[in-house]
Amino acid sequence: MSFDKIRDPRKLRHQIGHMECDYVYTAGVAGERFYLALREDGKLLATRCDKCNITYMPPRMYCDKCFAELTNYKEVPLTGIIESYTITYFDMDGEVLPEPLVLAFIKIDQTDGGLIHTVGNIKPESLKIGTKVKALFKDKAKRTGALTDIKCFQPA
Amino acid sequence: MFEAAVKAYVDAGVNARKDIGSFLTAAEDYWEGYSIFDEFVPDQLGAVLRSVCTIGGDGLLAISNGAMQIETGLFDVVAVEAHSKASDMLTFDGILSHALDPVYNRAFNAHPYFIAGLEMQRYLHATKTTREQCASVVVKNKHNAMDNPLAAFPADMTVDEIINSTMVSHPLTQRDISPLADGCIVMVLASEKKAKELADHPIWLKGLGWYSDTPWLEARDWSAAGYTNLARDRAYKRAGIKNPRKEIDFAEVDDCFSYKELQHLEALQICESGKAGKLAEAGEFNCDGSFPVNVSGGRLGAGNLLEASALQSVLECVQQLRGHAGKRQIKNAKTAVAQSWRSVPTASGCVAVLSNEL
Repeated sequence: MSFDKIRDPRKLRHQIGHMECDYVYTAGVAGERFYLALREDGKLLATRCDKCNITYMPPRMYCDKCFAELTNYKEVPLTGIIESYTITYFDMDGEVLPEPLVLAFIKIDQTDGGLIHTVGNIKPESLKIGTKVKALFKDKAKRTGALTDIKCFQPA
Repeated sequence: MFEAAVKAYVDAGVNARKDIGSFLTAAEDYWEGYSIFDEFVPDQLGAVLRSVCTIGGDGLLAISNGAMQIETGLFDVVAVEAHSKASDMLTFDGILSHALDPVYNRAFNAHPYFIAGLEMQRYLHATKTTREQCASVVVKNKHNAMDNPLAAFPADMTVDEIINSTMVSHPLTQRDISPLADGCIVMVLASEKKAKELADHPIWLKGLGWYSDTPWLEARDWSAAGYTNLARDRAYKRAGIKNPRKEIDFAEVDDCFSYKELQHLEALQICESGKAGKLAEAGEFNCDGSFPVNVSGGRLGAGNLLEASALQSVLECVQQLRGHAGKRQIKNAKTAVAQSWRSVPTASGCVAVLSNEL
C-alpha cells in the first residue's frame, strides 16, 4: 500500500548532486536591435514580412510562415491591448514572491505579436481583457538593455 | 524500468534479446539529472548492443517514431519506454524555469505556471467556460483515479475545495495543477504481420500525429491548442475518422492543468469549441457519461509522469480496448483517442487513435 512506501528518496542510500548550469544567453541579431532601441531610444522595434503581411513583436530574424530572412525593422507604437492577464504568486524556484505579480500578454498595436510584461497603476480587480495600455519607461540612465527597461504597462 | 520492461515483454510474448530490434526512450536530460542520459538507457531495457535512440519529447512521440521504424520494414518489433523519477528532483521548479526563454521570459522571476494562468484566463474569456467547470474536471479525474490501482492521487474532492486551494497564478489554483508522480511504462509495438502472430487480440495504432507550435509565447494563439488541431487532423485522416464524437468511444487527454482537458477535447473535436466545460459539468465525460474522458484519472488523478504521461494515456486506452480495465472498464469500447502535451512552456503535442479492430 502506498502509505507505507518510502516517499522521500533522501531516506534511501543516496548521493546529493548539483548540476551546475551557468550560461551566457545572447539576444541574437534581432534581439540585439530590439534591446538597443529599448535602452537608447525608448522605442519598440518590430520586424516585418511584407510577403506574409506579418509584423513580428518581438522582432525576428526570419518569418515563421515563409522562412524568409527579415531585415525590415520598423518602429511600432508603445501601446497595446491586454489579451490576457494573471496574478502570479510564486517565483522561478517555487518560493512565494514577496508581492504578487500582475503579468499580462499585451498585444502591441500595429503588430501581430506582443510582450509579456507587468501591468501597474491599476487595481488587480479592475484588470480586464481588452484594456488599452501603454509602456512606461524607466529613466534612460537606469536602463540596462533588458525587458525591465519598461517599468510596466499602465492604462493608456 | 526493469520491472516495467519485464512486464511488457512477458505481456507481448517477446524475448528482449532475441525478438526486439529497436528500443526508443522518451527522456529529457534535465529531468534525469544526467548529461547525455541516453547512454544509461540500454541496461534496464535489455537493449545493450541493440539499436537504441532517445526521443526528446513525450512518450507518444516515441511511439510515433517507433511505429515509423516498423513502417520502414527495418524492424518488426520495437520497444518504447518513458518514465518519471520526479521524486529525485530536489529543484523541479528551477529546472522547469530553465525552459523559459532567457532573453524575453525570465525578467520577472515568475514561475512558469504564469503561462498556464494567462492561458486559462484567455480560454475562460474566449469560450465563456466557467472557473467551476474547470474545477469539475479535477473532481472527476481524482474520483476516477480511485478505481485505478496505479493512480497516485485518487480523492473525492469538491469544486469549492479546488477553487479555494492556494492561488498559484490567478485563476489557476494548486488543485488545478497535476501533482508529480514516479512511474515507468514500457510498450511493445509490432508490425501487422508480427502482431497477428504474437497476439490473438492486438490493439492497433490506427493513426498518429505530432506537431509543435512556435516556442515564442508572444506569437501564440492564447486561447487554442494549435498543436493538437494539426496532430488531430493527421491522426484522424490516417485512421479514417470523419466524425470523432460518433466514431470514437472514449478519450485519454492531457490534463496537466484542469482547463487543458477541456481545451484539448475541443481541439480533438469531441465537442464544439466552448462546449466542453458545460458537458464536463453535466457529467457527460464521467465514466458513466456519454463520452468517458480520463477514466484512468489522467494526470490530475494518476499523477504527472512528465514525458511518461503520454504513455499513461496510451496504456489506459490499451487496457480499456482489451477489456482489462477492471472496475473502471468502459463497456463495448472499440476505438479510443490518446492526446499529449509537454506542458508549460511548450506548445508540442501528439494524438493517437487506437482500436481493437484492424
